[in-house]
Amino acid sequence: MIELRKVCLKYGEKEILKNVSLTVQDNTIKAILGPSGVGKSTILKLMLGLIKPNSGQVIIDGTDITSLKESALYSIRRKMGMVFQGNALFDSLTISQNLGFFLRENMKLPEAEISRRVAEQIQFAGLEGYEEQLPESLSGGMRRRVAIGRALIFNPHMILFDEPTAGLDPVSSKKILSLISSLRHHNNLGAVIVTHIIDDVFNVADSVAVLYQGEIIFDDKVEKLRQAQHHFIRSILSDNILEL
Amino acid sequence: MPITFIRTLGKKLVQQLKDFFLTMQEFFLFSLRTFLSFPKAIRYWRDILDQATICGTDSIPIVLVSSISIGALLAIEVGNLLEDFGAKTMLGRSTALTVIRELGPLLMGLMLSARFGSRNGAELGAMQISEQIDALRAFGTDPIAKLVMPRLLAALIMFLPLTALSDFAGLQSAAYMADHYHRIDPGIFWNAVYPRLVPKDFVVGFLKAPVFAIIITLVSSFNGFSARGGTAGVGRSTIKGIVVSSGLVLIANFYVSKLVLENM
Repeated sequence: MIELRKVCLKYGEKEILKNVSLTVQDNTIKAILGPSGVGKSTILKLMLGLIKPNSGQVIIDGTDITSLKESALYSIRRKMGMVFQGNALFDSLTISQNLGFFLRENMKLPEAEISRRVAEQIQFAGLEGYEEQLPESLSGGMRRRVAIGRALIFNPHMILFDEPTAGLDPVSSKKILSLISSLRHHNNLGAVIVTHIIDDVFNVADSVAVLYQGEIIFDDKVEKLRQAQHHFIRSILSDNILEL
Repeated sequence: MPITFIRTLGKKLVQQLKDFFLTMQEFFLFSLRTFLSFPKAIRYWRDILDQATICGTDSIPIVLVSSISIGALLAIEVGNLLEDFGAKTMLGRSTALTVIRELGPLLMGLMLSARFGSRNGAELGAMQISEQIDALRAFGTDPIAKLVMPRLLAALIMFLPLTALSDFAGLQSAAYMADHYHRIDPGIFWNAVYPRLVPKDFVVGFLKAPVFAIIITLVSSFNGFSARGGTAGVGRSTIKGIVVSSGLVLIANFYVSKLVLENM
């Protein structure tokens, strides 16, 4: 379980997050919805301990990670997989090497087991035949699927998606969303999805938190979003896609 | 109006000073973390070998070109000068001291600052803006141990033989020019070189290699890690890395020479 308690974050004089509190239960998919540049990706980085809040707590499975040293954070981060907005694939490595990279780096697994897991993710992501290609030769949707495969290969408890369908064509977006949905059904994973596309929320999420001007203005089940009265939520429900 | 101007200027100055000290603090911590990750060298031996090839073997041509040119030039110019005093036979001695103590390591340092430093800055900067460094951290890998420590260790190992190569090539080209331009017999040239060299001369020259390795690697890598603002940001951080490391190489060159020559 991931919990943010009264988290405040400032970049210089700019206040990014104001007293943000939210909880992500295991085996559920939580969406964080908000306009671009409002601090949604920052929340994911806080969950991973990549940045530290100015105040408040970030609790992962009962451990407050805000006071932990970088070295102590590594074991906690390995419980979570992260799919970055730009995929963050290593461009000099092939798809297979990208998928197996962190297994070779961080887990003392036999090479046969690594190959088995890589093959499993290749199949799951529908990338058969592309194993020896470099990321640059793949389409945006395929690269996103490699990034998802790389995040899943550890068998994490929770997976964090930063704008999983941003910049993709409708067909690729649909594939990615169905891939995310299938995680819940097959792997019993929890997930946090940061997005500015409201359709994504209705398609895959169980609950949603809406971030507006650095504050959470709604945090409940997705079905209840349509009944929310906040003027910002009413406007996004009518517009569907949020842009600042 | 002037008061407002002075106040704004003062504020900007204070902010810049604050930013400078903050950057220095970050650089110090970055360097400390790199040295503290040395025990992980065995785990990253492949990365160290890769980096040793990049900063060592692949840098041989540029080091050779620069040291051969400067050795030849030095022989011609110093030879002309010594001829005026009737001391042409001292060419070997003066060239050897200049090359071994100063120009061999300095040129190697500047060339590697441009070649190895720019590569580090651009590569790590591109990784930073494409979130690859964040990805390493997110998946439980220490990016400093994985990316910076192998570069530093490889530079520390490879800069020494590169210095020796730079000295050797510089002296060989000087001997060649002494023979063909000044008509100084190679025997006379080398006789003026070997018997007169003392350990201090080698200490001055070879002590610079690890100092330059530390400066070039840490400054360029730190700037790569600090890259912000897309591809233009990578360009800016790469240039900053080269300019700062080249400047520091020149300053360190002076102080190492001064320190050793005054104390040995």
